[in-house]
Amino acid sequence: MASSSSSGLTFKLHPLVIVNISDHYTRVKSQMNPPLVSSTSATVNGVEPQQQAPRIYGCVVGVQRGRTVEIFNSFELLYDPSTHSLDRPFLEKKQELYKKVFPHFYILGWYSTGSDAQESDMHIHKALMDINESPLYVLLNPTINPAQKDLPVTIYESELHVIDGIPQLIFVRSSYTIETVEAERISVDHVAHLKPSDGGSAATQLAAHLTGIHSAIKMLNSRISVLHHYLVGMQKGDIPCENSLLRQVSSLLRRLPAIESEKFQDDFLMEYNDTMLVTYLAMFTNCSGTMNELVDKFNTAYDRHSRRGWTDCFHLNTVIV
Amino acid sequence: MDIEQKQAEFIDHFVKQASAQKGTALVSVIVEATSHPSLFAFSEILAVPTFAELDGTENSEYLEVLRLFAHGTWSDYKSNSGSLPQLVPDQVLKLKQLTVLTLAETNKVLPYDQLMLELDVTNVRELEDFLINECMYAGIVRGKLDQLRRCFEIQFATGRDLRPGQLGSMIETLSNWLGTSDNLLISIQDKIKWVDNMSELDKKHRKEVEDKVEELKKSISAKLPTVSRLKLTSEGSKRSTLNLVE
Repeated sequence: MASSSSSGLTFKLHPLVIVNISDHYTRVKSQMNPPLVSSTSATVNGVEPQQQAPRIYGCVVGVQRGRTVEIFNSFELLYDPSTHSLDRPFLEKKQELYKKVFPHFYILGWYSTGSDAQESDMHIHKALMDINESPLYVLLNPTINPAQKDLPVTIYESELHVIDGIPQLIFVRSSYTIETVEAERISVDHVAHLKPSDGGSAATQLAAHLTGIHSAIKMLNSRISVLHHYLVGMQKGDIPCENSLLRQVSSLLRRLPAIESEKFQDDFLMEYNDTMLVTYLAMFTNCSGTMNELVDKFNTAYDRHSRRGWTDCFHLNTVIV
Repeated sequence: MDIEQKQAEFIDHFVKQASAQKGTALVSVIVEATSHPSLFAFSEILAVPTFAELDGTENSEYLEVLRLFAHGTWSDYKSNSGSLPQLVPDQVLKLKQLTVLTLAETNKVLPYDQLMLELDVTNVRELEDFLINECMYAGIVRGKLDQLRRCFEIQFATGRDLRPGQLGSMIETLSNWLGTSDNLLISIQDKIKWVDNMSELDKKHRKEVEDKVEELKKSISAKLPTVSRLKLTSEGSKRSTLNLVE
C-alpha cells in the first residue's frame, strides 16, 4: 500500500509530537493493567482484539508554509469503534482553543500506533479531509526493536491512484526531517541521559557514563576513518586532488594535540592527585568506621562474660586470625 | 570552513583569467592574485597549464613569486631577494600573513621573539597589532595572545597550500589518530566490563554474607535454651565474616 510520495512536500517533525504520541501510548497501555482478555463475544463487530497493543488516536497540528509542512504539536482523541471515526465535536472544540493560543496552527492530520497503515485507517483519513484537503497520517510503531537505528515513525500522505480502473485513495510514505527548537533539544538531551530512578549503584552510573563516552568516540572514529580513506585514495590517484579540502584537513590536523602545554599537565595532574587523595580519605574513614563497629561488638560480647572471657577470647582470636 | 568558501570564488576568477591570458599578461594576474586581501590559496592557480610555459622565459621570476606565495615564507623571500622582483606592499603583507600560517604548522605556541624575527618586526606592540588586525580579524588564525609569557597560543589556523610531501605525513597523522582512538575505545570497553564484573562479585559476596548470617540466626533461635557458649561462637563467626567483608 505504501510507495514513496511524489507530492514534493517537505515535512519537518518536532520531537514534541513523537514524545506526546509515545507518552499517550504508554499511559493507555499501563492503564490497561490487567491486560484485556479478549472475550470473543465482545469483539463480534470485527474490531481487532486489543490484547497487548492498544491503538491510540489523536490529531497533529502545525504550520504549512508553501511546500514545507512543519508539525509542531499533537493532542489525543477518542476513537469511537461504532462509527469508525474520531470524536468530532471534541476535535472541533480543541481546534477552536488552539486557534486562540496559536493562531497560525492548523490541523495537519492525525496519528496512530501500529506497525503498518491499514485499510480501516482510510475512513478516518477521509473524515478529516474536510478540515484539511490533504491530511497527514503519522504512524508510530510501538514495538521495540533494538537493532533498528532510526525512529519508528512514518508519515503517510494520501494520493489518488488509479487501481484496476478505479481511482482510489491510498497511503504513500513520505520522508521527513526532525526539527527542534532550543527548548526541545534540551529536553531530548535530558531524556537521552536518563539514569535509573534510585540513582543506581556507583557501578551502573560509571558504566552509563563510560558507555556515553564510548559511543561519542566511536562516532569520531568513523568520521576520521572516512577522511583517512579519502586521503589514501587521493594519494593513490583514484580520486582527483581537491586542494581546498586538503587545506581544510591540514588545518584540522594542525589542531592536534588538542591541549599540550606544561601548564595543562600541571593542572591536570594536580586535579588527578586531589581526586585520588579524597577517595583514599573516604576509604580510610570507611575502614575506621567498620573497625570501630567491630571493637564495639567485641566489647559487648565480652563484657558480660568477663570471667569466662579468657577461654572464649582465645577461641575467638583463633577464629579471627 | 568559511575561509575556503570566501576564497572559492576568487580562486575560480583568477584561474579563468590565468587560462585566458598568456605571457606578460600573466604577470599582472600574478601580482593581482598575490595582493588580493582575501586570497590565501594559490595551488589551483599554480596548476593552470599556462604557467608552466612561463618557466624559462624572462618572466619566470614571477612564477617563482607565485610558488613562494604558495609554499614559502618571508625569510625565503629575503634570502632570495636578488633573484626575485620587488614586491608591492600588499604582497609583503600577504607574505607575512602566510609566514604566520607556516609557523602555526609546526608549533601551537609561538614565542614573540620567534615571530618578531620571522616577520622583521622590532617591537611587541607592532607585532601584536599585526597579529590582531591582519591575522585574527582576517579570520585566518584564531588564538590567544599571552603577553606575560610573550607567546601566541594558536587554536586554529587556516591551511596553506600543500607541498607534495605533506600528503604522506597527513595520512600518517590521521592513521595515528585512528589508532589512538581505537585503543581508547578498547580500553573503555574493558573498563566497562571490569566495572560490571566487580559489581557482580560484590553483589555475590554480600549475598553470601547475608545467607550465612541468616543461617546462624536460625541455628541460634533453634538452640535458644543453651545460649551462652553457642552465642559466643556465633558472634565470633559473625565478626569473622564481617572482617572478610572489609
